[in-house]
Amino acid sequence: MEKTKNSLGKRIKNVLMAPVRDCKEIGQTFAHGDWKTKVSFLIMGFGPLMRGQILRGIAFLASEIAFIWYMVAFGAKYLKDIGTLGTVQGGFDENYSYTYGDNSFFILLFGVLSLFLIVLFIYMWRLNVRVNMNEEKRLKEGRALATVKQDFRSLLDENFDKTLLALPVTGVFLFILLPIVFMVCVAFTNYDATHQSPTHLFTWVGLENFRNIFSMGTAGFGKTFVTVLNWTLVWAFFATFLTYFLGMAVAILINKKGIKFKKMWRTILVMTIAIPQFVSLLYVSKMFAVDGLINSYLMKWGWINSPLPFWTKASWARPTILLINLWIGTPYVMLITTGLLMNIPEELYESAKIDGASPFQTFRKITLPYMLFVTGPYLLTQFTGNLNNFNVIFLLSQGKPQSLELAGGAGYTDLLVTWLYKMTVNDTNYKMAAVIGIMVFVVVAVVSVTVYNILPSVRDEEGFQ
Amino acid sequence: MMKEKKLHKQHKKLSNGIAYALLIVMSIVWLFPFVCLVLQSFRSYKPEVEFGGMVAYLLPKHFSLDSYKFLFSGESNFLRWYGNTLIIAAFVSIGQTFFVLCTSYALSRMRFKMRKALMNLWLVLGMFPGFLTMICLYFLLKQVGLTQAGAVPGLILISVASSGMGYYVCKGYFDTIPKSLDEAARIDGASRAKIFIGMIVPLSKPIIIYTALVAFMAPWCDYVFASYVAFGYEKGYNVAVALQRWVTTNDYQGYFTRFCAGGVLVAVPVTALFMALQKYYVEGVTGGAVKG
Amino acid sequence: MKKKLLAMLLSAAMVLSLAACGGGDDKKNDTPSDNNTQQGADNNTPADDNQGGGDDTTPADDGQASAPADIDYGSGVITIWVAEAAVEVTQKLADEFFAANPAMAGYTVDIQPTGEGDAAGNMITDVEGGADIFGFAQDQLGRLVLAGALTPITGDYASFVESENAAGSVAGAKMGDQIYAFPMTADNGYFLYYDKSVVTDPSSLDKILEDCAAAGKSFYMEINSGWYQTAFFFGAGCELTYESDSSGALISSNITYASENGLKALKAIIALANHSAFVNGSSLSSATNPGAIVDGTWDSGAAKDLFGDNYACAKLPTYTVDGEEIQLGGFCGFKLLGVKPQTEQGKMLVCMALAQYLTNADAQLTRFTELGWGPCNITAQADSAVQADEALSALGAQFAYMIPQGQYPDAYWQDATSLGDDVIAGTYNNMSDEELMKVLEDFQALQQSYAAQ
Repeated sequence: MEKTKNSLGKRIKNVLMAPVRDCKEIGQTFAHGDWKTKVSFLIMGFGPLMRGQILRGIAFLASEIAFIWYMVAFGAKYLKDIGTLGTVQGGFDENYSYTYGDNSFFILLFGVLSLFLIVLFIYMWRLNVRVNMNEEKRLKEGRALATVKQDFRSLLDENFDKTLLALPVTGVFLFILLPIVFMVCVAFTNYDATHQSPTHLFTWVGLENFRNIFSMGTAGFGKTFVTVLNWTLVWAFFATFLTYFLGMAVAILINKKGIKFKKMWRTILVMTIAIPQFVSLLYVSKMFAVDGLINSYLMKWGWINSPLPFWTKASWARPTILLINLWIGTPYVMLITTGLLMNIPEELYESAKIDGASPFQTFRKITLPYMLFVTGPYLLTQFTGNLNNFNVIFLLSQGKPQSLELAGGAGYTDLLVTWLYKMTVNDTNYKMAAVIGIMVFVVVAVVSVTVYNILPSVRDEEGFQ
Repeated sequence: MMKEKKLHKQHKKLSNGIAYALLIVMSIVWLFPFVCLVLQSFRSYKPEVEFGGMVAYLLPKHFSLDSYKFLFSGESNFLRWYGNTLIIAAFVSIGQTFFVLCTSYALSRMRFKMRKALMNLWLVLGMFPGFLTMICLYFLLKQVGLTQAGAVPGLILISVASSGMGYYVCKGYFDTIPKSLDEAARIDGASRAKIFIGMIVPLSKPIIIYTALVAFMAPWCDYVFASYVAFGYEKGYNVAVALQRWVTTNDYQGYFTRFCAGGVLVAVPVTALFMALQKYYVEGVTGGAVKG
Repeated sequence: MKKKLLAMLLSAAMVLSLAACGGGDDKKNDTPSDNNTQQGADNNTPADDNQGGGDDTTPADDGQASAPADIDYGSGVITIWVAEAAVEVTQKLADEFFAANPAMAGYTVDIQPTGEGDAAGNMITDVEGGADIFGFAQDQLGRLVLAGALTPITGDYASFVESENAAGSVAGAKMGDQIYAFPMTADNGYFLYYDKSVVTDPSSLDKILEDCAAAGKSFYMEINSGWYQTAFFFGAGCELTYESDSSGALISSNITYASENGLKALKAIIALANHSAFVNGSSLSSATNPGAIVDGTWDSGAAKDLFGDNYACAKLPTYTVDGEEIQLGGFCGFKLLGVKPQTEQGKMLVCMALAQYLTNADAQLTRFTELGWGPCNITAQADSAVQADEALSALGAQFAYMIPQGQYPDAYWQDATSLGDDVIAGTYNNMSDEELMKVLEDFQALQQSYAAQ
């Protein structure tokens, strides 16, 4: 315990000291460096170019030129307004043609992008200084610098990771990281239906939206948020474990000795994975309607007198969704557990049988602990996946039924993520959608960290998915 | 002794009988919606024959291919939508596999400075709900002209560019390939690139097929983001967006049988492909789900 | 030159006041064009041209037909969003328009099937990327104005709208005093479609439910929609209206749901929801077992298909509460055609002229003949074929009990759905009058809070 505390302290100290060390190194490089290095502080890549390191030199120089070009031509005009998110409102001029004013959306988006690029540029510049330093050191020691050919080759060998990751990392940066940072920023603005770009401006409002989501009064979202969050957690729990146990049961059933056509049974179940959900779930949702197939036939056969309120009563809609989710989710679990069940050593079962254990006891004492251990990461993945299971909820019930008890158009079967979707698409209430998005993140993170600390088999870098 | 054995046998027969009964019931429940879907697709939508909306009976009164004929007749853009989806699925499948392989190899085999930081960052990013960023992605794509008329390449770009984050399953597979193979090859003077292309990739056929299969199937279900990117330009829709409109919007009265027929046409090839490659799929999901 | 033309065309207060700053210069610079401007202004007075009446107004007679040919409108593509069914008709009308206006023929149209339901949402998501001209249902007007997706209609176009269309439809296209769109149809109301072989007396809700139950059929009405729900409340004499200013913001409200009348309406809705023959819904193609349905003209085709020879329609029935018989009322709404703000002036001119053309008497009659959409144009309404249409006359009969739909906050539709869902879920079953009144009071307070902002 003492030791970890120590090392943690050390690590924090390390992180804090890094900039200081960096500055020192930069200063020394400048002070002791030759003129090529000194020019490189201004014109990046100058040193390497002069020393014949064409590839590196050009890369640095090009990144500097590209950065300056981006900032001058594009980034600066957005960046300068990021404090206000724009001041000029669009409008009709005397010629009756419309002139768009400042676009708060783009100011924020490209402002954020510019900030990222500035950080990246500083990093590049720092790298440029270090490269200069290393080259000088190498030359002083009388060693040859790498040739262009060698540089190229290293990209396919010891630096192969850079080649491999260049595209994926750029892609994730542009289409995942940047949008997420942008939306997190939106949570602190008043971007909604009445402040809609490009014709209207939106601006920073601080923590107001967060106050709204936690305010329990009649006008606030607090009560609705709690209801939706509760159902999200309940749903994720049952959706995960019901399918888990039914799937395992089915797998055991099919694995049973003496059952023929094993492959056929599995194939029949697996159809639900293969058929696109928007077809199957939309159809199933109509089947369960008040005047749908199920109710019609039940009434025709005289089993019921009035239609069952599958979607109209919260107390019916929630179990119905869980039930239909069994239909969707069980085959996955069956597929996964089929092979695993066969991995359990036969001797364990034999000895249990000799001890006179009932089948249920063997399941509880041998099968279940083993399966829980082995599929721990899968369960966590499923749980977090179900927290965000948009398709099943949206295609089946659209979150309905709504109620005057709930604000913001939320319904009793809405998950946080479907509520977020409705806010984005139906209400263009982006500010609240962003807040809910952050809440979803918090919930998933808390669940993941908790499970990570409880389940031993998850504590592995591949665990989270 | 004999008696006991006989009893045992009887017991076994009984329990197998119950098992079969359960399996048959389950099969019926599992197949029922699909059977219904297929039956509905053979109902005519033409008023003089039958009504094309929802009905409360299962068997069409008249067997008819009208709904299918409609889809192939060119009265709607169905073939175009189908083609769009096929193009998206094919490119996404190739692109994602490439990205995932590259990322997985780098993270599994190479040790570099930012490796842990990168994996942690991606882990955190993965915890944000995807729908959150739709509006932002839309405008990013619009900046480069890849919305509406450019929706198809736009959707491919988004799916492929961000696919590096889905490396877990593939990396897990790479981790199981012994590192000693790499080391032996490196002693023989092979570069990292050569090991990757010449050795690891050929060894990873199952996981490549799994990645490609999953990537190929996803675009057939994408109706949320696809409708966001392609709105207002019908020819840029994919099949999910278009068919979804036939049942959910008021403009398409009596399109239900046509939706069913379209659904069947989407489901048949995807299901066939899935069934053919099922073995690899099972291997992939199991490998990805389990850590001992 | 164009500037002058526009200043004349769009002689609204807003434009005038703005033009006052730069108008003087324009005059001096552009003196040679004065003649043309005059011509243009004259020719662009459709109100005058169309006074002749509906049937003899050929496209060539129309205002834009002889627009000055030497004006450079530029060229490009005009995107139009209309419902799937109307794509062909709109294409035909647009072709006629450009044939009659060769000066504007530099433009081509791209018509995309985007239904009234989707159009507003899509426009709001991305105004710049949206359609130049788009059809939408009236309840979306407020959202669209707030999002800046509509060009205010002024000058001669405004007088065209005012003089040619029924008063209710003009009011429906207004925010405050400002017109924002061209009225396109006046059929956005609802009435009763029924199966003659099932329903014997369509004038009473109780009778209809009885007949449906006896025949094993269902009565469909979407009581969890803010639109259909008002049939009960307005019928009972409640009010729910908002005043808005011209920017689209709501400034005051007049709501009387929390009253004796409101209580009657709510009780009637609860009673209906609990009836065994009732099914919530208003879409014919997802109704599996309808004996009667409350629906609008857009479904008349599907209704004819479904009911076949037994197809019939009527005004809405009466409902009975505590022995009192009350006629169902409701909203009558309109479909509108809007023009997006344009950055290019030439395109703006063409869009305006085209939108006007697409909503004139002839165009409305064409849509009626081809699609059965009821016109809001006064001349077109007087047409004998329109008068003879069964669905439209049922709607016409119902109109007597309906109020023209004004502007409502987005949240109203949400809340009304919630109220309806609560009723259907049985939340209010077995509640005393006092408790129900409390529900109405809360609902009313909530609706009032939207105008206070």
